[in-house]
Amino acid sequence: MPLNIDIQQILLHMLNFVILFAVMYFVLYKPVKAFIDKRDACFREMEEKAKKDLDEAAAAKDEYEEKLRGAAEEIRTMKAEAQKDSREDADKIRSDAKKEAKEILNVAKLKAEHDTEVMIKNANSEICELAQQAAGKFVIENTSDAYDSFIESANDADED
Amino acid sequence: MSKKRKIVSLAVFGVIIAALIAGIVITAPHAGIKEPINEVMKDAVLHETGRIDIFGKIQVNPALVSAWIVTGILIVFAVITRIFFIPKFTQIPGRFQYLLERGVGLFTGLAKQNSPQKTQFIGGYIFTAGVYIFIGTIFELFGFQAVTVSGFSISLPAPLADINGAIAMGFFSYGVILFGGLVNNGIKGMLHALKDFTLPVSMSFRLFGALLSGALVTELVYYYALTSYVVPVIVGVLFTLLHALIQAYVLTMLVSIFYGESSEKKEKPVRPEKIKKEKRRKTV
Repeated sequence: MPLNIDIQQILLHMLNFVILFAVMYFVLYKPVKAFIDKRDACFREMEEKAKKDLDEAAAAKDEYEEKLRGAAEEIRTMKAEAQKDSREDADKIRSDAKKEAKEILNVAKLKAEHDTEVMIKNANSEICELAQQAAGKFVIENTSDAYDSFIESANDADED
Repeated sequence: MSKKRKIVSLAVFGVIIAALIAGIVITAPHAGIKEPINEVMKDAVLHETGRIDIFGKIQVNPALVSAWIVTGILIVFAVITRIFFIPKFTQIPGRFQYLLERGVGLFTGLAKQNSPQKTQFIGGYIFTAGVYIFIGTIFELFGFQAVTVSGFSISLPAPLADINGAIAMGFFSYGVILFGGLVNNGIKGMLHALKDFTLPVSMSFRLFGALLSGALVTELVYYYALTSYVVPVIVGVLFTLLHALIQAYVLTMLVSIFYGESSEKKEKPVRPEKIKKEKRRKTV
């Protein structure tokens, strides 16, 4: 044949290559590829897991931030309520104090009035007593002088 | 100038002078050209005279012996790797594992790129073909000797430098492409691949031509005494390495592209009548 083409040699080359292909495919290519695929799958799984963990962490962060925002709001509300309560308490205490002061004042006033009355009463009675005593004294003084003058007159009359 | 540098300079000068003297001696008139260049080239292409006898039963071209030796080397390598190295593969690869994974990954990537439907089989095929072409082409650099039927010693060529080897590779690759079409698309896929009936011829002759051109250039360089000194070391090695790489890449890429085309799932073309009916329905 032209160019020294030989069918038998072509077939021998083919047979040689088929044997080589079978051995290389099953003994070398397939196991190495299986190993690479397995490792790729492992890395892919790790990557997915890492991504999932990252997503979870991001979600947890969001949740905590939301909670923090809620807590701040809650603190603000509680503070406002506490301020309101304390203001109310203070008002109440102030009004109670005023009320109590008023009551004390009234009581004091009443007591003062009563004491004044008592004192006036006592003073009146003392004045009466003093007047009586003065009147008594006056009467006694006046009656003794009259008696003395009577006696003297009587004595004078006797002598006469 | 340091002592080390002086020694290096002297050595370089010594080598140059020795080389020049050798060149003068070799290129002396009538320095041993025995066979005319056209005969040498014809032998390199056709291997008509340099056949090798196998156990006295069959006479084969030297390239077939090269093919057997290359196949033997690759099979031994594969078996040793399978038994001793693959079971010890680690997640972080060492040098040898990395090299092996790169080789497999390169051809798998090529298969995925050109034939995304089915990659396992074609990846394995182009891996084998690529390694065979590359190692087979480099094989000629070692210059293993064999004795021909006529009793001369010849240097074993690359397996695919023989047209029979190239034809075998081209037709086998075409068979793989047909097989891919048949398996993935049935008879239609095979018929689609059959349309490119020039493909095996073009693949065979491209491979043969490329490898033969390398062999011819090397032969030409070695033929003349003047160029056979110093030049072949660079030309032979570089040229062989270069076309080994290029041919391994070209054939594997072509096979994967045509395999991808033949195994690609084809959508059934919609008939114009159906389109008209659809339009009518929509308008109604």
